[in-house]
Amino acid sequence: MSYGVMQRSRCSAGCRGARPSATTLSRRAPAPLRANAPAVSASAVEDAWIRANVAEPAAPSPVAGLAALRSSCSEALASLRMPTTRNEEYRFTDVAALTSAKLARPTAAAAVDAALLDSLRFPEAGGSAAVLVDGVLRPELSDLASLPRGAYVGGAAGAPAAALERLGHLSNARGGPFAVVNGVLAGDAVVVVLPDGARLARPLHIIHVASGAGAGQGALSASAPRLLVALGRGAEAEVVEEFVSADSGATAVFAVAEVLLGPGASLKHGYVQREAAGSVHLKSTLVDQAEGSSYNLVEARVGGGLSRHDVGVAQCGPDTATRMRHFLLAGAGQLQDLHSKLVLDHPRGEAEQLHKCIVSHASGRGVFDGNVKVNRLAQKTDAGQLSRNLLLVPRATVNVKPNLQIIADDVKCTHGAAISDLSEEELFYFRARGIPAEVARQSLVYSFGAEVVQALRYDRLVARIQADVVAALQVAEASIAGASK
Amino acid sequence: MRGAAFGCNRAGGPGCRMMRRTTVPCRASGSSNGAGRPVLLEVKGLEAKIAATGQQILRGVDLTVREGEVHAIMGKNGSGKSTLSKVLVGHPDYEVTAGTATFKGRDLFALEPEERSHDGLFLSFQSPIEIPGVSNVDFLRMACNARRKSKGQAELDPLEFYAHVVPKLEMLKMDPTFLNRNVNEGFSGGEKKRNEILQLAVLESEMSILDEIDSGLDIDALRDVAAAVNGLKRPDTSVLMVTHYKRLLDYIRPEYVHIMEAGRITQTGGMDLVDQLEAGGYATLSTA
Repeated sequence: MSYGVMQRSRCSAGCRGARPSATTLSRRAPAPLRANAPAVSASAVEDAWIRANVAEPAAPSPVAGLAALRSSCSEALASLRMPTTRNEEYRFTDVAALTSAKLARPTAAAAVDAALLDSLRFPEAGGSAAVLVDGVLRPELSDLASLPRGAYVGGAAGAPAAALERLGHLSNARGGPFAVVNGVLAGDAVVVVLPDGARLARPLHIIHVASGAGAGQGALSASAPRLLVALGRGAEAEVVEEFVSADSGATAVFAVAEVLLGPGASLKHGYVQREAAGSVHLKSTLVDQAEGSSYNLVEARVGGGLSRHDVGVAQCGPDTATRMRHFLLAGAGQLQDLHSKLVLDHPRGEAEQLHKCIVSHASGRGVFDGNVKVNRLAQKTDAGQLSRNLLLVPRATVNVKPNLQIIADDVKCTHGAAISDLSEEELFYFRARGIPAEVARQSLVYSFGAEVVQALRYDRLVARIQADVVAALQVAEASIAGASK
Repeated sequence: MRGAAFGCNRAGGPGCRMMRRTTVPCRASGSSNGAGRPVLLEVKGLEAKIAATGQQILRGVDLTVREGEVHAIMGKNGSGKSTLSKVLVGHPDYEVTAGTATFKGRDLFALEPEERSHDGLFLSFQSPIEIPGVSNVDFLRMACNARRKSKGQAELDPLEFYAHVVPKLEMLKMDPTFLNRNVNEGFSGGEKKRNEILQLAVLESEMSILDEIDSGLDIDALRDVAAAVNGLKRPDTSVLMVTHYKRLLDYIRPEYVHIMEAGRITQTGGMDLVDQLEAGGYATLSTA
């Protein structure tokens, strides 16, 4: 797989702003992966919050791939600074909720309520569920009986060496500062490897539980789940990542997913975030697509407090298709941020992105920065990008910046953004059929997100996201009713 | 299959079936022999303006519709036909400035739009909106149950509702897969109009206002939609059509034809008025 694309994207990121930013720093060329490189000593770390909360060396990992990852990220950590709103990439995303908190390392092998896990399973993924607690795969809680021969789904220890070698390649090159934090803290990685032509018959449901164990007064229990998916030529898989909290306590999750798609491979990637209120959830997803491959992301984030997803997709060959659909709900005190970068460098690429965001509370905020870059060689590209935002209450805020950069001259590209309240016309249609206004409002708001959420397909999964949305909307309704009294 | 029995009673009762078979209109045009029947809708001196701009649209509309009658309103663009329909069902874009409207003896303007629907008033929209994410069957069931609840009837569960709706789909020659599609999403113009009449059939409203249901329909679809409207007629129901074209009135024969001009009904007659209109346009009428 060519890394030329990454070089270019790294350059463009570095050139964008004159002032040095955290993201620029983290985009330095990855340090060579030496398995036994000495860790940088904590005292050499520039940023005080990182020094106090992240830099303390963890026990060395016996798995070579993880040790190399930690070593390279520890080096990057030395010069890393936590972003502030003065960094362009974080202009609307204040991470003070994180940097004003103290992080605690979760106690190992925290117990998880079996009833919680049972409530999360859905029948379509029977025999195909991996459970991670605080970023560590727990085989005793997982059920991977239905895997096809030749496929590997499991923890870092025991994963095929060729796959482990690639751990961190994408995130080191293109990940933001929190991908670096993940690399330092990661205690394990779920590795999914499908050989050429293999196919997962069932969706692989990856349940990420943040236990909150080990957090003292005022500290957030921090975990760093990591996923690596490598699909061989023509292989097909569906992976659904679901992030939840063990209880109502807030946690900090630094998640990374790296996806390497071989020629003609196809991945459906579901990503659901339903963590406890006030949680910090920072995720990076980095995808390299070889020619003819297809990457299809469906994202629904309704939980947490400070929640951000950085998606970077590089089309590394011709005839490559990328489809991304996102639904974000920002209620009281929630910030739901999506930053996506899609680079097309080859002919006949297809890209389609739909971002839908509801802000249901005056203290909620949605942020979207979606960049699609159609480079000189990406002729005959067909790309579309649309952002639709629904602001349900006064003072609700979204900051949206869908943007296309087109250098190729023979392409079809569209983009747009819309921000609105529910339309009177829609509400009236329901009422004219006898359906009361409040029921109409709920249906309409739910239907707004359903367009994306329904693409997750599995009834039980869709139903629990729907339930979260309905609950958030009831809070919104109550606050609207309260304000008008 | 309790629901199935219920559905048949309503949609396929002897009276209905007889009328459904009648493709040739049976009422004589221009007849006015229904004066003794109870009044369903009575509009007096209705004036209304666009709420946002204050532009006056309706300037004193008088209209009486009795049970069992079919009325048609024709008129030039901008004469206020659609506004009248929307004002009657309580569209928020318009503000009533004078006059009264009663439906089944109740003051229409004292009721919320949903209450008017519960009472049996229905408007088939000229351009129905799309609602992605809400399935047609859920929407229909919500509407059906809202009316049943208001009448103190038991709500239908999904199975009962399915039995209620399927005969109505057949009547409209609609594929059952319509039910699983999202409301109007990706529907053709004709499908949207059929879907409006399906809603009317499900709600079993007594008074249906059909705002240009013939626009965007090809001849087959028009025939199907008209046959469904005729099939839904009962002795206690009435139809008020808003249209530009005679061809709809050939399928659904009105007893009364009203000509609207500058926010008022200026002439009332029978089909002869339509023929006159076809021959010479509105100009011949206003001088007549």
